[in-house]
Amino acid sequence: MKKITIISLFFALISTLTLASEVNIFSARHYDSDIQLYEKFTAKTGIKVNVVSGKAKALEKRIIEEGADCIADLYITADAGRLGAAQAKGMLQGGLSSAAIKAAVPKNFRTSQWVGIAKRARIVYFAPERVTGAELAGLTYESLANPKWKGRLVIRKSNNIYNQSLVASLVKNNGKKAAASWAKGVVSNMARTPKGNDRAQIMAVAAGEADIAVANTYYLALMLSGKKGAEQEEAAKKVKPFFPNQDDRGTHMNISGAGLLKHAPNKANAVSLVEFLLSSEAQEHIVNNTFEYPMIQGVSPHPLVVAMGLDFKQDLKTKVASYGAKQADALEVMLEAGWK
Amino acid sequence: MLLKKIDIWYLSSFFISIIVAVPIITVFLSFFETTGNYSSILKDTFLYEYIFNSIILLFGVLLLTFIIGVGCAYIVSFYKFPGVNFFKWALILSFAVPAYIYAYSLTAFFENFGTAFSILKNLFGEGDYNSSIPKFDGMLGAIISISFSLFGYVYVLTRASFHYQSQNLIELGKNLGFSKKKSFFKIILPSARPAIVAGLSLVAMETLSDFGSVSFFGISTLTTGIYNAWISFDDLTLANRLSFFLLIFIFGLFILENFSRRKAQYHSLSKGGFKSKSVITLTGYKSLLAFSFCFFVFFISFLFPVLQMLYWTIIFPKHFIDLKITELFLNTILLVLLSSIVLILFAFISNYGNRVSKSKFLEALTTFSISGYAIPGIILAVAFITFISWFDNNIVRYFGINTIKSIFIGSILGLVLVYFVRFYSLASNGIKSGYLKINYSIDESSYLLGYSKFKTFTDVHIPYLKNSIFLIGILIAIEIIKELPITLIMRPFNFETFATTAYVFASQDLLEAAAAPSLLLIIIASIFILTTSRYILKD
Amino acid sequence: MIKNFLEIENVTFNVGNKSKVNNLSLTIENEGDIICLLGPSGIGKTTILRTIAGLEKIQSGKISLKNKIISSKNIHLDPEKRNISLSFQDNCLFPHYNVIQNIEFGAARNKKKKKDLNVDDVIRFLNLEHVKEKFPHEISSGEAQRASLARSLLSKPDLLLLDEPLSNVDQSFKEEIQVKLKKILTELKITTIIVTHDSYEAFYLGTKCGIILDGQLKQYDDPYNVYHFPNSVEVVNFLNRGILIPAKVTGENSLENDDLGTIKGNFIKHYPKGSDVQLLLQPEDLEHDDKSNLKLEVVDRKFRGTNFIYTLKTLSNLLIPVFVHSHHIHQHEVDEKFGIKRPIIIDHIVCF
Repeated sequence: MKKITIISLFFALISTLTLASEVNIFSARHYDSDIQLYEKFTAKTGIKVNVVSGKAKALEKRIIEEGADCIADLYITADAGRLGAAQAKGMLQGGLSSAAIKAAVPKNFRTSQWVGIAKRARIVYFAPERVTGAELAGLTYESLANPKWKGRLVIRKSNNIYNQSLVASLVKNNGKKAAASWAKGVVSNMARTPKGNDRAQIMAVAAGEADIAVANTYYLALMLSGKKGAEQEEAAKKVKPFFPNQDDRGTHMNISGAGLLKHAPNKANAVSLVEFLLSSEAQEHIVNNTFEYPMIQGVSPHPLVVAMGLDFKQDLKTKVASYGAKQADALEVMLEAGWK
Repeated sequence: MLLKKIDIWYLSSFFISIIVAVPIITVFLSFFETTGNYSSILKDTFLYEYIFNSIILLFGVLLLTFIIGVGCAYIVSFYKFPGVNFFKWALILSFAVPAYIYAYSLTAFFENFGTAFSILKNLFGEGDYNSSIPKFDGMLGAIISISFSLFGYVYVLTRASFHYQSQNLIELGKNLGFSKKKSFFKIILPSARPAIVAGLSLVAMETLSDFGSVSFFGISTLTTGIYNAWISFDDLTLANRLSFFLLIFIFGLFILENFSRRKAQYHSLSKGGFKSKSVITLTGYKSLLAFSFCFFVFFISFLFPVLQMLYWTIIFPKHFIDLKITELFLNTILLVLLSSIVLILFAFISNYGNRVSKSKFLEALTTFSISGYAIPGIILAVAFITFISWFDNNIVRYFGINTIKSIFIGSILGLVLVYFVRFYSLASNGIKSGYLKINYSIDESSYLLGYSKFKTFTDVHIPYLKNSIFLIGILIAIEIIKELPITLIMRPFNFETFATTAYVFASQDLLEAAAAPSLLLIIIASIFILTTSRYILKD
Repeated sequence: MIKNFLEIENVTFNVGNKSKVNNLSLTIENEGDIICLLGPSGIGKTTILRTIAGLEKIQSGKISLKNKIISSKNIHLDPEKRNISLSFQDNCLFPHYNVIQNIEFGAARNKKKKKDLNVDDVIRFLNLEHVKEKFPHEISSGEAQRASLARSLLSKPDLLLLDEPLSNVDQSFKEEIQVKLKKILTELKITTIIVTHDSYEAFYLGTKCGIILDGQLKQYDDPYNVYHFPNSVEVVNFLNRGILIPAKVTGENSLENDDLGTIKGNFIKHYPKGSDVQLLLQPEDLEHDDKSNLKLEVVDRKFRGTNFIYTLKTLSNLLIPVFVHSHHIHQHEVDEKFGIKRPIIIDHIVCF
């Protein structure tokens, strides 16, 4: 018996190396700069941050299978659709409802189980040489299905979560039927079979393959920053951002965020990490490294993001929580429309 | 006494096979639970697309690896031209480049405003080059990435077959007055067929289990389909149907591989071809042609990704400086050492158990258990987690022990265990083919000289197989250095390797930052390959 | 107290589920005896050796060595514990060791025992000095067989089993090695069972010879008796001794054949007068005599160095071999007549 105890202790030791004060993160949203942020947190609170990064779906499966024995506290991922799905699967628990969190994050971007850390908008990019202001006037997501864009639009595949969330918001606002016929319109407007990531869509417009593209805001800033090299910086300058739906509900917003896991062993530490991530110090760090929009008031985004324009109307009407709820419908309408 | 002794070997062999087989069984058993949220129309759409894509991918890769692999093997085996001795080993360096890193390079080079664009701009000044640069993405990109990282299997096996090919066969061709072309198609190629088929079926299995590059290019194959259906939608019915098809593919290939390997063995064993062949010395444009073909393949398969990664590492040195190289190196080496030791030791025990017990059942079990090789790593890892969780909830709790999950999930132990399942066939087949060379009467001679089974194992088999062991150890090392999905899911907190670091950067669209760890990964794998090239090429 | 050195009692020898030799009993009475087992290939001689060595199990009967049961239905002593050495027909040297290492591998077990056999001596004895440092794949198969033999000898077993030990040794060399082998085995008093298909080798080396035919031990006797007094038609045929011709017993020491007339000699077994028998007629039994009135037709003539073998046809179409020394020229061509000296006298008459 003694032997077994010793052996299991030994394995427990090599498997977790448990420290008294720590918080464990499963992260599907990987930024190199996150590590520096966590180091700041540790320096401030003495709580050590442990991270496993991986593919979102695999991490979720691991959380579910490990069940009560999962020692992770927070699940950090990009896209509200994923956090919503995690909540729906019962992977999360309430508890992210401290006064500090409530004060920092608008109601639209949180539930008690997960909370947005940073915002991004999914917008339209256009080539000013080929797209006139008149054509763009009053552009909405809905009007991307307009035949005038035939052969001029590029957008990612339907298996991309950002697209799924965008379409989910359309299902939520316009109903499944309308979304279905919209998807068919979009597919027929595509300049090419969907391929590549968001940045590839922007570059397709810069390279003249298409006139308009749908992509998230931070990609253009990333290119403009020169982090992707001089050519891409030049290419980014050939493309301009356009924020759709300014005359109605506003531009589609999404978040990267953190969910509190159901069996979190270090719940309090997890909450204080989230609170720290929502502090202005941390928010400054995040927006300057990821080119996202800050979640809290009083912090300015990266200058390149500011230059893209800040005074646009955000869609605060559609709760981001609905992206998870309508994800399946969104995928279905896209696939039925033949959206690869 | 004898019975008791055999039982120890038998049992250990039995248990090793069972351990390896469990996750594989789990994958398929777990699909018999019925769930499913999606309409059947959608399922069929998925299903046909997945199968169609898998077939296109498979045939594309097989065609390309056949042309490259057999072509190179033929040229370096039968002709002499400047650089031929260099190419003989340089071509196997492609093993050091995992398909996903190849995919990164391919995209980075050919994308709009990518490296090709930069080169053209620097050479010819500003211009609209994007539309004239070919785009290797999507299916085409995946086929190229996988082919150039896997053609080595076909090359190595075919070359070995050519090497041992009896001189008589080639002279026979001349004798019959065949032209070179006719000799190649009528004599040389058919006699190397078992080796080629064995190489191609390895390529096919690796292609079917590829996850990194197909998901990078966003292609839905059976593997990504199972991953999505099972892991993200909990749709076991669809996962079940998909894995049924995958299973059919895999077993078909498995049978093919086994069959042709046996034949290949037969061929290589028939002696008489050991005479050094008279190679034809090429001159003039023919020599240039042969050189160009080999150089092209070497360049595209190895230099190209290395140069792309090197280029980025140089123009974005910050990422290289920030990299915790020592830590990544030590982590990688730790995994390599632990896994190779465990794999070789257990593969050895199991093979020896099979040998002394001569049990048909055990033999069949081993054959079944090594099919884990063909199951995509990412699915294997999740199956392992699922199994441990089931085992923990249903059996361990029953005995009143608290939990064993944390011992196996998110630990080095668990990681090594899944590597064990994934790469067991590599170790087991390697040792098995070593053992095939030891005539059974060698064992009997040793017994008759008074050596016990254990002493025979330690005094005869291990010294005899030490070269094989070394070679297998290195092959395992190369695989583990490149391995991504299992490491990603199974590793403990704060544990990074070159592969995971490269992935993490690549997944956030920072291929520039992924360059430094990728480059280091390729360099380390290359060093391992070079230390064993003489065994791999067996001159 | 020791009854017999080795006793095999009613053992059926199997390979897998196929029985090769049925219900065989054989004893080696004294330590140091050399037994040769003769038989056509594939008959199960190797199986017998493997079973005695403990590599195959038995389902019936028992085998005991030095009064200790080593194999029976319920007892099976591991091969490594029997102190029986078997030298395989095919080269079974360890491929990763050179010749000397291979030979010493055998000597390792012998270390504790009295060292009356020295590695260098054996190597010299078996002419292996020139290949000492070579690896098995670098030497000829005959050399490998001798090395394997050396390895077995050096393990100084209680019982040495040799499976076709010299089958790959060059003919020119074979007799020399046979002489040496016999010398070494006799001097060291190593009890040995040798399996061979070469009857001359068996007759030379064996204290006793066993003839195995049709899954049975047909005859087990000393070489002289096996040769001269074969106990069955099968043994005669196997040893290729001559032909059997029909004859009628006409008296205490005479027979009558229709073609050859009266044949005289000593019967080794009594047959009543008037019985019809098959007489074993060997090539050396008939003598050439051109003056004889018994003329037979020549159908074939083979030159065999020291002798010719003529095949003659009798009136009733029997084909009879006749042995003639080659020191005088024989010009009897095919279709010519050939005289046989009468009366025909055979030293001992073997009939069935």
